Amino acid sequence: MIDLLSGYAIFSLSTVLVFVALATLLHLQFGLAGIVNFGVVGFWGLGMYAFGILLLNFQLPYFVALILAVAIVALVAFVLGWVVLDLDSQAQLVATLAFAAVIADLVTTEKWLTKGVVGLGTVPHPFGGAQSALWLLLILLVLTVGVIVYARLLGRSPFGRLLAAIRDNEVLARNLGKDTSRAKLIFFTLTSAGMGLFGALSAPVRQFLTPDLLGPGVTFSVWIALIVGGKRWPLGGLLGVLLTIFVFDFLIETYLRVPSDWAQIIPILKLMLYGVTLVLVLLFRPFGLLGDRRQPTSHL
Amino acid sequence: MLKLNAVSSGYGDVTILKEIDLDVGGEVFAVLGSNGAGKSTLMKAVAGLLRSQGGTISFEGRDVTRTAPNKLAEMGLAIVPQEGNIFPDLTVRENLSLGALVGTRPRKARMDEVFDLFPDLVPRIDQKAGSLSGGEAQMVAVGRALVQEPRLLLLDEPTTGLSPKYASSLFRKIREIHEQRRIGILLAEQNAVKALEIADRVLVLSLGAIFLNEPAKGIDFDRVRAGYHI
Repeated sequence: MIDLLSGYAIFSLSTVLVFVALATLLHLQFGLAGIVNFGVVGFWGLGMYAFGILLLNFQLPYFVALILAVAIVALVAFVLGWVVLDLDSQAQLVATLAFAAVIADLVTTEKWLTKGVVGLGTVPHPFGGAQSALWLLLILLVLTVGVIVYARLLGRSPFGRLLAAIRDNEVLARNLGKDTSRAKLIFFTLTSAGMGLFGALSAPVRQFLTPDLLGPGVTFSVWIALIVGGKRWPLGGLLGVLLTIFVFDFLIETYLRVPSDWAQIIPILKLMLYGVTLVLVLLFRPFGLLGDRRQPTSHL
Repeated sequence: MLKLNAVSSGYGDVTILKEIDLDVGGEVFAVLGSNGAGKSTLMKAVAGLLRSQGGTISFEGRDVTRTAPNKLAEMGLAIVPQEGNIFPDLTVRENLSLGALVGTRPRKARMDEVFDLFPDLVPRIDQKAGSLSGGEAQMVAVGRALVQEPRLLLLDEPTTGLSPKYASSLFRKIREIHEQRRIGILLAEQNAVKALEIADRVLVLSLGAIFLNEPAKGIDFDRVRAGYHI
């Protein structure tokens, strides 16, 4: 029986919630607005480290550090977006991937600030007491639900339709009376700052920050989850994360009772199943398991 | 309404339009010419989609030579490009509603007027625009531009690829739009005969220069045709 209130279960569920939020934010960027962001881990990791550094090195109050960390991510996203968003999708892919690699490298090399591979810690929970981890889980739950609700509302709003129009045909969208470059830049900045917020809140979940957390695996996991779930749907990220990260990383890896000889095979098997799932979805449901159905629009 | 003064434009270093002077009022103004004559280049230059290489463009007395396309849309200029003129992944309703990003009148009233003009779109309202026939897609494109409530509408070869029946119907609708809304229409067309039937004034472009610019009424068709054979 799974003990959902055990320390490890709370840690795992918190991690799953962060991935759901990241996948939903990626749905907004890619599925709705057509912005290719392969630097998810860069924004997430920058938020995490900025928060940790401001809190531990500079001794700032908890929520001041949190807000400043998100502001730093927003500023970096604004500058990066300003440079790359009007380029084509391949250029966006390479630039955002490179950005994430630079963040990971800086975290490793700038030891005076990040303590490098030794690691930065310990980041405390926002509230003390015996149930502090549970409170953090609840905060993550509320924020993740908030992101999904926002995604659903935005998809039906005039600004959401403008973003979809930009994704579909940007040249034509320029003739609709709105500055498409500015709309993309504002949206990319806000959604990337959202990734930074979930990064900052991941710091107390992880408690000890090391550069190996910032590998490209985070970005790839989020992309795979969104593609499996359905990039065009606000619930696509949630479904995808439940079917991939939750099942493989949480249920199977943690709770499946297997002979001890198999224990080393599970992580390898997990990666293979990840790959098989992705290939099957791309072959038979190229728009993800939720498909290409559209949200009802009769209220327009 | 729209004035071009010695406007040159093209792609990169290549100049297609050569020092064009033009004065378009609140009329149906047909721009004719063979393939490559510069019709689409003229439309793109006016809509701000191409940088002009020289000269000035003014709209309702304001210099718009370097004005961005979105600002021109706010000022009352809408374009239906020859290609890529719909959002294929969005429904008919969504395509039309995007026109309402400018203007102040209620969106629903503006969209209802388009459905009155193009009743064939009503049963297709929740269908993706990319799944429509060529004629229906063209109605969506024109309809979206009308929802913008422009004072000048640019139509770049709107009947390309349409069956003769659809094309004739669209020409009638274009005249109807002009008469009902009293807006200027700059119409680039290959089909000179049909365009002359609905136009007030005609411009024939040849190799990027003006070959002829006259009232359409009573024009000698042989002179129009001569512009195609240079």
